[in-house]
Amino acid sequence: MEKTVLVNCSPKKRLSVSGFLMKCAGVMLRGKKEYLHLRTPADRKAILHALTDAQKIVFVMPLYVDSVPSHVLPFMKEMENFCKENGLGLKVYVIANNGFIEGKQNEPLMQVMENFCARSGLTWCGGVGIGGGVMLNVERIMLAVLFARMLLNMLLSGVQGESILEPVRSFGISLLEVLLLACGIIAYTVRLALHINRGTDAGKRYTRIMLPSFIFILFADIFFTIISILQGGFFRGWFSRFQPDAHCGIISVKEE
Amino acid sequence: MRHGQRLIRKRQTMKTIIHDLGKEQSGRLLAAADQVVCADGRYAPCQGCFKCWTKHPAACEMRDALHQSCRVLGMADDLTIITENLYGGYSPAVKNLLDRSIGISTPLSTYRGGQMHHTLRYGKRRRLHVIVYGEISDAEMRTLTLMTERNAVNMGFREHSIAFCADAEAAGGMA
Repeated sequence: MEKTVLVNCSPKKRLSVSGFLMKCAGVMLRGKKEYLHLRTPADRKAILHALTDAQKIVFVMPLYVDSVPSHVLPFMKEMENFCKENGLGLKVYVIANNGFIEGKQNEPLMQVMENFCARSGLTWCGGVGIGGGVMLNVERIMLAVLFARMLLNMLLSGVQGESILEPVRSFGISLLEVLLLACGIIAYTVRLALHINRGTDAGKRYTRIMLPSFIFILFADIFFTIISILQGGFFRGWFSRFQPDAHCGIISVKEE
Repeated sequence: MRHGQRLIRKRQTMKTIIHDLGKEQSGRLLAAADQVVCADGRYAPCQGCFKCWTKHPAACEMRDALHQSCRVLGMADDLTIITENLYGGYSPAVKNLLDRSIGISTPLSTYRGGQMHHTLRYGKRRRLHVIVYGEISDAEMRTLTLMTERNAVNMGFREHSIAFCADAEAAGGMA
């Protein structure tokens, strides 16, 4: 039985889009599966150990400043040496997601992963670059809330002797809307999972949340405005050109 | 040269160098720049919390030496990045510094270069120049060229360029 190791490369402890995508892809995979999280240097050993009897690895990661997050790079270097030393010829797949709407913005990250495979003697099998990934988080939280509301409404309708089908219908419509927005992501993730199961090259594919970009930008701005207010209140220099403090310790400057 | 003891005043055109050549090279690089940042890789990576946008703008949640790195990078009209090649990307130390500096933009979004990007806290700047050293393949060169172009758009630089050289010593001389 073939084994696939799925690695969530998000630095977030919980509620990461990468973790969600990893689980979504994982449920469609056949054979033995191992889900692991790469957050700290202490996580590296367990991942390398899991690779010894694996045939495939799926990296699921967010895009940070047009590339792979910095905490993943030392692991890749370690993995390159480990695979060479142990003669591991894994097949490598990648699911990348970014906060911008265009999935194509993941292209440099995909190329870095392809170059990593070339250096490490691994087989690059492509992957999916997803735009607007953060919206998947909003959608799944929204669906959970709507599901709870449906249950409550069904209960209330039952108590009042009304039809319990109306809350179900309302939830069904919301579910369809969410699925429609994510249809590209779902389709390409399913496609990738099929390739992983067959062990074939999936190529690079890019997709996104199915919203016009100007509407997505509007939603993103509203989202961050709400978060900013909740976390710290109104206008604490949201747009100010702050200067570094005198004790900012990372730089060397010329004597005047 | 002083290490972070002075309140940095914005010059008319500020040239900043980020490098991973080791702290001892910072002094030499200061001949070619107003400020030099040594990425030594001893800092915690970005945790993806976005609090440098939402909770305390332009300051990282982690109170280490990179706490205000975005402010230092934001002041650079000309930014030169000296980095070792790693799979067609920046070295982990340089990438760590860039990941921790996303506060150079705001949480709000706009179109730039025909794609969605965050609006710039420090406005448009002049030039991003990347100097890459170390052994490199043709594919990695193409990736780094693309990444420099993408970074320039992302960080709001009007111009960008990239140069490749064999080793760290040559890279320091090209700044």
